Amino acid sequence: MVRLEAMVANGTRKQSINNKEDDMKFDFKKLALGVALGFTLLGGAAAVAQDAKHEIVTVVKLSGIAWFNRMEAGVAEYAEETGNNATQVGPASADAALQVQMIEDLIARNVNAITVVPNSPEALEPVLAKALEAGIKVVGHEASSLENVTYDVEAFDNAAYGVHLMEALAQDMGGEGEYAVFVGHLTAKTHNEWVDAAIAYQKEKYPKMTLVGGKIESNEQQQTAYQKTKELLRTYPNLKGIQGSAGEDVVGAALAVEEAGLTGKVTIVGTSLVSVAGPYLETGEIKMISFWDPAKAGIAMNKVAAMAIEGKEVTDGMDLGVEGYNSVKLDGKVIYGQAWVDVTKDNMDEYDF
Amino acid sequence: MSSVSRILATPQGVVFLTALLFALVLSLLNPAFFTPATLIDLLRNSLVTGIFALGVMMVLASGGIDVSCTAIGAFAMYATMKIILGIDFDMPIIGYFLLSAAIGAGLGLLNGILIGGLGLPTLIVTLGTLSLYRGALLTFLGTTYITAVPRKVITFARSVLVRMENAVGQMVSLPYSFLVLLFVAIGVAVLMNFTMFGRKIYAIGGSEEAAARIGIRIRRVKVLIYVIAGAIAGLAGMTHLTLSRMANPFDLVGMELNVIAAVVLGGARITGGHGTVVGTLLGVFVITMINTTLLMAGVPSYWQKFVIGCLIVVGTGLPILIDRFARHRERISRPIGA
Repeated sequence: MVRLEAMVANGTRKQSINNKEDDMKFDFKKLALGVALGFTLLGGAAAVAQDAKHEIVTVVKLSGIAWFNRMEAGVAEYAEETGNNATQVGPASADAALQVQMIEDLIARNVNAITVVPNSPEALEPVLAKALEAGIKVVGHEASSLENVTYDVEAFDNAAYGVHLMEALAQDMGGEGEYAVFVGHLTAKTHNEWVDAAIAYQKEKYPKMTLVGGKIESNEQQQTAYQKTKELLRTYPNLKGIQGSAGEDVVGAALAVEEAGLTGKVTIVGTSLVSVAGPYLETGEIKMISFWDPAKAGIAMNKVAAMAIEGKEVTDGMDLGVEGYNSVKLDGKVIYGQAWVDVTKDNMDEYDF
Repeated sequence: MSSVSRILATPQGVVFLTALLFALVLSLLNPAFFTPATLIDLLRNSLVTGIFALGVMMVLASGGIDVSCTAIGAFAMYATMKIILGIDFDMPIIGYFLLSAAIGAGLGLLNGILIGGLGLPTLIVTLGTLSLYRGALLTFLGTTYITAVPRKVITFARSVLVRMENAVGQMVSLPYSFLVLLFVAIGVAVLMNFTMFGRKIYAIGGSEEAAARIGIRIRRVKVLIYVIAGAIAGLAGMTHLTLSRMANPFDLVGMELNVIAAVVLGGARITGGHGTVVGTLLGVFVITMINTTLLMAGVPSYWQKFVIGCLIVVGTGLPILIDRFARHRERISRPIGA
């Protein structure tokens, strides 16, 4: 599911809402069985004298898609570097109930740490609480709202990311002119945080730029973004910049700009993936896209998990030794990096997702 | 009846007047509105909804409803792209459309068998297959965007029928896929008005019982309706693909209510027996106008839904009220004992 939702940090996902209910109905018999099994295995595992190697398992939203394949590569790289037994598992469909089952199994196996990218943070709380009780360290990702975790690793602070995108837009627009912003949905928390921070930053730093049209909703549909961009261009013929939030925004905007014959006259930046926005990066309608690298996030999560197992604390300003996580910000249990990756025409070949 | 109330007596009339009024207000707010360029833009934006709507109109005329059309379109478009990229077989762009239509027809056949063959309620069946087709698409065919579409699709998308500059010097164009809408519109119009099959559809929609008594084989007609509607949905899906220049399996589903709203605004009745091609296209045009041009007038996104809701209630309710009022007047003006 490399919809850009997958990139949205706080797990405000449509699917999450649907899955929540299923999990509430989770079978308690199975749960009890899992616990019982866990204790039996515990005895067995203790007998086999384990060496200092940690067993860390990463549970992702969905296995087999490019985004999480990339994360798996990061986990493998970490395992090779440290010698820890780090692996990745994920359900065949992006279903919170399946993730709960997988974590149950991991508790039964008594692994040292679980790192998890939840489909629905709320749905996982009970099972993660159980993992913590069993002495297993839990590290979350894309889930800053999670309560039952040792730490949660976020690629970046939403406001800082929004400012970063605006800076790129303003640089290319020469710091003046009309610009418009897209959000996937007016209710999407993450998108709004990005955009609000960006607008506030523009007002402060680039007073010669003006926002037109308010926040425009694309419904995460490329064709909607396309149609609305056309309307924008007609209503505001001097429009010079567009900032997108959902992965489809920049693509729809780019198509409209290309068709209107305005390539090079309108700067487009925003969140997207190379696999989605690639063609327009190449032809130049899109100036820059940003996202974060799941491989790096995977390594960072595993490093934090290993530190937790060894009883070390993460502190504000710490260097995790992973690119983008060199000076992390600690807010409660949440660790923020500055791990956004900017992709332009020049480095788009490095990313295959 | 006066000429005004005669216009208001048909849903098409109400819709047409609203469209005019709407355009007038918009042009007051933004003088750039009343230009050929705007018209071309609107036509371009109503292509996909328009093609879907024509298929749904046929179904509505027969007394059914089809909410699965968008899922069929998405499935057909994505499957077509997968097949073409998979077999790497060179065929002209029309082959893409035919393949997509064939897949759509196949999915429509399942609808038809369930509805016509087994006699299940249309809303239940199509609600079910909407979810079924979409689920099958995302589970078995994939969830990734295909942006590396064949060169032919891009070339097709770039070739335009009309191209002009609008008032502010931007290019506006009507792509070749407009011909698909034209082809479907003419096809459906001929089918509905000049063939026995079309007459049978209206007859079934008017009264299934009566249609059966005059010897219409209802099951067979119904199955065929859904097969044709499926094929049309397939064409809409492929058109969407060429317009967006990528195959996104998450697209299309979600616009089915918009499509049905357009058809109903265009004069087709949920109860069946009514519906015209011209009315449907008008309905589509108005819905597209509301959806895309309210932005120009500076109206927030939520208002669009509100306006469309009002239009449906007024557009479909007013003609019925006027009709009833006219009959009532006729009755009281009749001499006693006549």
